Amino acid sequence: MATNPMQQFEVYRIGPQIKIAGVDLSFTNASLFMVLSAVAICAVLFLGTKEKKLIPDKFQLISEILYNFIAKMISDTAGSKAKPYFPFIFSLFMFVLFCNMFGMLPYSFTVTSHIIVTMLLAIFIFIAVTIIGFLKHGFGYLKLFVPSGVPVILLPLITVIEIISYLSRPLSLSVRLFANMLAGHTMLKVFGGFVVSLGILGGWLPLGFSVALTGLEILVAFLQAYVFAILTCIYLNDALNLHH
Amino acid sequence: MRDLDNFKTRLKIAEKKLKKRSKNHDNTENSSFMGGAFKLGTELVSAVAVGTIIGFILDSWFDTKPWLLIFFFFLGSIAGILNVIKAANKMQKRN
Repeated sequence: MATNPMQQFEVYRIGPQIKIAGVDLSFTNASLFMVLSAVAICAVLFLGTKEKKLIPDKFQLISEILYNFIAKMISDTAGSKAKPYFPFIFSLFMFVLFCNMFGMLPYSFTVTSHIIVTMLLAIFIFIAVTIIGFLKHGFGYLKLFVPSGVPVILLPLITVIEIISYLSRPLSLSVRLFANMLAGHTMLKVFGGFVVSLGILGGWLPLGFSVALTGLEILVAFLQAYVFAILTCIYLNDALNLHH
Repeated sequence: MRDLDNFKTRLKIAEKKLKKRSKNHDNTENSSFMGGAFKLGTELVSAVAVGTIIGFILDSWFDTKPWLLIFFFFLGSIAGILNVIKAANKMQKRN
């Protein structure tokens, strides 16, 4: 019985140790859950699109709802120019959502509760958006850092501040997802520990809290995936439709 | 053939309903409110962190400890507050 609430975040090796060029590439429990969520996404979407019925069955309904949800989100926040990036944002949303939801299963591992995973996703988005911005606007993209209508004396200061705020995007994007998942799962385990240590007499109150927190965590798992995707859309919008 | 006509009319009615619904607000609005609330907190903190990190790096480059760190900490705070104001403005505009 695990009593340490942080033990759930431990990464350990499954199977043999693989070392390529001095880098440890062994298969861990984190990799296992990433593979699991990727397989689950493919399974749901494959089952959903296998037969195109006029009256959809459950899986088709799920995939259609997910498709519409993301398509609407992209067109609302980033406009029609962002349509080509639909596959990327859809995969991103599905991956984060399924990783979060797999984390809600007992004895599972939450991939997104590790900053290295969310940071990698965020930095990839950040670099991609920056490249897209420069490709679409050339050096005009730098206008993003120079807001119009600012007195010349203040301009260098404002530019530095704008650059800091631009660089803070990947950090805020990754820390938000990571911190929410880490805090939520730690809290679940702490309350679970209370139930055990207070026993049959006093354990009912934390048990109730645990149930409520589990519901909240499922909401947070969905919401954080949504926020991650919508912020990607907002950054993409800045890069595609430059108006400052 | 009748089936198809029937289906076409039903499709038209459904499309009309959809248009009406998108004119009013839809049910994703609630979740985007909560998403916005989650967004604001980290927006402030991360800019301060990035500013401080930049200051720290520049300090070790130019050997001016700790002045650039302090300066960039304040710049980062300003950037964080600006971030929050921008995000809040965006949220207000959307409604």
